[in-house]
Amino acid sequence: MKQPVILTDSDDPSIRDAAGFLDSWDVVVRRDRELAAAVEEVADVRVIITTTDNPNALRDIVDRARARSLAVIVGCASDMARRRAIELRVDEWFLVPATGEEIAGRVRSALSRVAPAAAALADRVERFEYEQMLYDHLTGLPTLPVMIERSRALIKERGEMIVLYFNFVRYSKIEEIYGWEKLDAVLETTAQAVREFLDASVLRSSRVMVSFTNDDDFVFFHVPAPNVAAVTDAEITDLVPKLQEFVGGRIETTHGEEIASLFEIYVGRAHVYYNPKIRLQRLIYRGIREAANAAKGIEQRERGRRVDDLKRSLRERAVYVDLHPILLAESRQVYGYEALARGTLRTLRSPEIMFDVAAEADLLWELGRLCRSRAIEAMKTRLTRGEFLFLNVDPHDFADPQFSQLDQEVPDPSRVVIEITERTAIKDYPKFRERLSALRERGYRFAVDDAGSGYAGLGSIANLEPDFIKLDISLINCIDTNFIKQNLVETMVRFANDQGAKVIAEGVERAEEYETVKQLGVHMVQGFFLHRPSENAVARTGEHAASRPSDTIAHVGGKT
Amino acid sequence: MPEASLPTVLVVDDNHDNADIMRQYLEAKGYPVSAAYSGEEALSLFESVRPSIVLLDIMMPGRDGWEVCRLMKQHPSHGRGVRVIMVTALDQWDDKRQALQTGADDYVTKPIDLPRLVRVVERNAAALQGAA
Repeated sequence: MKQPVILTDSDDPSIRDAAGFLDSWDVVVRRDRELAAAVEEVADVRVIITTTDNPNALRDIVDRARARSLAVIVGCASDMARRRAIELRVDEWFLVPATGEEIAGRVRSALSRVAPAAAALADRVERFEYEQMLYDHLTGLPTLPVMIERSRALIKERGEMIVLYFNFVRYSKIEEIYGWEKLDAVLETTAQAVREFLDASVLRSSRVMVSFTNDDDFVFFHVPAPNVAAVTDAEITDLVPKLQEFVGGRIETTHGEEIASLFEIYVGRAHVYYNPKIRLQRLIYRGIREAANAAKGIEQRERGRRVDDLKRSLRERAVYVDLHPILLAESRQVYGYEALARGTLRTLRSPEIMFDVAAEADLLWELGRLCRSRAIEAMKTRLTRGEFLFLNVDPHDFADPQFSQLDQEVPDPSRVVIEITERTAIKDYPKFRERLSALRERGYRFAVDDAGSGYAGLGSIANLEPDFIKLDISLINCIDTNFIKQNLVETMVRFANDQGAKVIAEGVERAEEYETVKQLGVHMVQGFFLHRPSENAVARTGEHAASRPSDTIAHVGGKT
Repeated sequence: MPEASLPTVLVVDDNHDNADIMRQYLEAKGYPVSAAYSGEEALSLFESVRPSIVLLDIMMPGRDGWEVCRLMKQHPSHGRGVRVIMVTALDQWDDKRQALQTGADDYVTKPIDLPRLVRVVERNAAALQGAA
């Protein structure tokens, strides 16, 4: 059969390369004005690539090509040329110089555009959408339907397959706290790390595929290559902690300790044996389900162990407090510190995990008491210059009969700001407000934490009459380039000024973010950018560098 | 030549008049502009025109602005380089929150104030340059 032809007015060798990439297409060159005539004369033309900068010539070529349903691609030497090409609605364009590979890609996509006209528009969009479903856009990994299709032949050939189900716990927490942009970045890092790790592991020689199923889980099919023994259970068991360490390490170096401490992996596995009587697809799904259940089982067991850890921590008071400075935005002077409680045990290092475990074990009050008393100890010993203490209190804690003991411990209630998160649903509003006003009378102040995290808007914040509004981290992340976030923060600042409240931006990680929030009128800032040990802010405040965890562990002296 | 560096804009509005007014005004300011009159057409032009900035009406029949924005931002090859500006009659807190959730970068409110529209396009063009 005759090869399709690329008709062009250019000698660019990249076009010849492109023809090579396209399965050895032929290239026919016709200079300048001859090109338009050649559209009708040369046989088997599929695509025209022109580099003309004459608008009339280009229009002529496009018209003739349209009449014959041929694709037109323009190699643009300037922005003007590109603009003109777009206006004429050519099928594709590229900026000269381009590689052969790129041009081949443009040819393929131009071809997909020309043939069917209006009716195909909806088809094309639909296909666009379907293609997105087949490969995860963040990680480039194939999704489950693709994997099943591909593994069909393999499993028939080998007769068995191992399904590994990687359950990544708490990724949804990352989204909740930091916003979806952060989660996407973390998922991307995770996928990359998992791929690297597997490429260097005992599973390397096998034919494997990985996929996300529902955004925070991977499914991994291990079909041993012919003549290679399948990986044993012992080898897989051995692999899991190493994988956890590798991925965790990568997340820590890329996204910081805070996020890495949230992260856990559980791996379940299942064998699938080929059975000609049962449809393969069903076998595979069954295997995935079995592996997922196994992973869940491991997670359950691990949780049980965590509860034991928590009980031990409560008994031994093994909780220490990190103090995160809150600075005035303009002067960068320390205004106060937020007390963040952490478990001394490694498994309970993350406050989110610690409180999750406590909720499960019904030990929230007990943990709340310990954290509060640790924070107040820190206030007495380390906040010696009259700084404010920002204390996280779960609305749940107000119901604790022992909560009123706070007064006996706190040296000066007017230096304590109680943070209430917008995320927790408050069930009994009148009662809750009653409790707040009682505390307010005794001198305590209030901050609404994670403000703007939901759709709820400003009404629910106004209801609490806070003295401080702490903006949700997801609003601050990359605020310098997102104008919607800037607008929301501006609105919040205006609202706060009306209410006589101060706005605190949390999670300020970059200089650009700091400058932006300062310009928007945010009163105070808190975040990694401002209290990294090397930063000036810390150098200036001298001994406040003692908020680093290494010092605080020594201070608390709990057992590890 | 300053004009040469202006980014390509795609204007999407099911109301032809709106789309054409925005298009003409931006063209007069030197931007290369394409217009689409439905979500489907917008996605198709998004692939062929590869705009750097998209002005996207939210309320359109068929695929609405939210969905189009999400699909554009997820596009494997040019989803990252594009800035999406939502054009909306809504100016409520939760609309903006939802716009953030779908990945939008900015918004302008209807009825369109053309000089303001240009300022919004300009600041997004500047943000693109900053990222490059």
